[in-house]
Amino acid sequence: MSEPSSFLRISGLRKSYGSREALRGINLDLQRGEFLCLFGPNGAGKSTLLKIVATLLRPSAGQVKVQDYDLEEHPEQYRAQLGMVSHQSFVYQDLSVLENLEFYATLYGVEQPREKALELLEEVKLADRYDMLAANLSRGMQQRLTIARALVNDPALLLLDEPYTGLDEHAASVLRDQLQILHSRKRTIVMVTHNLRRGMESATRLGILVRGELVYLQQKADVDPTTFEHLYFRHLEAQ
Amino acid sequence: MKSLRQIRFLCGKDLRIELRKKESLVSMAFFGVLILVMLNIANGVGKQIDAEAGAGILWVAILFSSVLGLGRVFAREKENGCVAALLISPVSSGEIFVAKALVNFSLMLLAELVLVPIFFVLFGARLSGDPLALLPILVLVNFGFSTTGTLVSAISAGTRRNEVLLPILLFPLLLPLMTLAVKATALALAAKPLADLRGQLEPMAAFCVVFAAAGYLLFPFVLRED
Repeated sequence: MSEPSSFLRISGLRKSYGSREALRGINLDLQRGEFLCLFGPNGAGKSTLLKIVATLLRPSAGQVKVQDYDLEEHPEQYRAQLGMVSHQSFVYQDLSVLENLEFYATLYGVEQPREKALELLEEVKLADRYDMLAANLSRGMQQRLTIARALVNDPALLLLDEPYTGLDEHAASVLRDQLQILHSRKRTIVMVTHNLRRGMESATRLGILVRGELVYLQQKADVDPTTFEHLYFRHLEAQ
Repeated sequence: MKSLRQIRFLCGKDLRIELRKKESLVSMAFFGVLILVMLNIANGVGKQIDAEAGAGILWVAILFSSVLGLGRVFAREKENGCVAALLISPVSSGEIFVAKALVNFSLMLLAELVLVPIFFVLFGARLSGDPLALLPILVLVNFGFSTTGTLVSAISAGTRRNEVLLPILLFPLLLPLMTLAVKATALALAAKPLADLRGQLEPMAAFCVVFAAAGYLLFPFVLRED
């Protein structure tokens, strides 16, 4: 039987800032429905990698494909499949919760933007706050709104850049539950984080990025958590 | 068609926020009126001014007040990384540029609806020109200012000294347009016919086309990191 084709394929990806190499030839294949968590110290290139996949940064060399759509050749089809959650909320403080979602849904050409927005607000348990200005939401609620915003186009690939930053325990567990629901719906997820515990509880695949190189990549089922933790800290110390 | 729809949604969002908060519009109009009043006092209340001086006064008030609104429109996109969300979406950089330029154009026009009548109240006693004769000049300056300003504000919004950097980068670029605008305004305030203004209006229109095209083409490079 032939191997299933990759949903996300990154090959030979490099990024340089002058003489400094932020990414040194990253190769990665993810199947549909996988949840990859990438760990790494500050400056390892995690956010750079995510920004390139999100089309926010141009690579110096290499290729990124989502479902056979190349980032350079078919940017519109490529971007239509992306959703991103970052430590920044990506929401307009002076618009209400509903207005924010409706605006983004409209930009993505969703046929019934208001209905879609209301449905997502139900999903992230913000329906009763629909008319509140985003500025008046707590950090945890803003993060839920951010997740809803990232889902307006029903993305097949969800990118998460340090999504737990600034969240209290309750908000973080709400986010974890939300991610598990999304994962159960066969969405492919790539998350970068410092938070070992949070990352490991959700992911199906674990990776470690150090100085722009992917030094470790394994299925979570094949990894002993304590061994992984030791390995990670050894890489941190060697940095 | 799709592009027009996207531009309409982007403009609608910015104008909705502006009409709700009124922070750019009120500060632009208030600052412009303040400049006019101060110059009126400095000149001597009720004293006669000639058309050349009047043109200079009007454009100083419009230019400085418009910079306030210009910086705010793009700074809003940088808050919470909203510009990144737009770049990930199917909206093109060109559509964002056109939408932002249209919002800046509208804000300038609304501020001018306050400033031009007040200018005529304070300085217009001895000026023979019709305020409506200023319309083509205002439209061309607004066009050039909003397109050039949108590009420059996208550059400066990412810096810590946005408010300082924006006029420092923008005003030298606008110098040719403003020089022509002051000359054309002086002629209009002196009640010269529109045909006499062609020598200024035509190069102003050329400036607008060149800067709008340059802004549209350069905008993607300003928005996306390299």
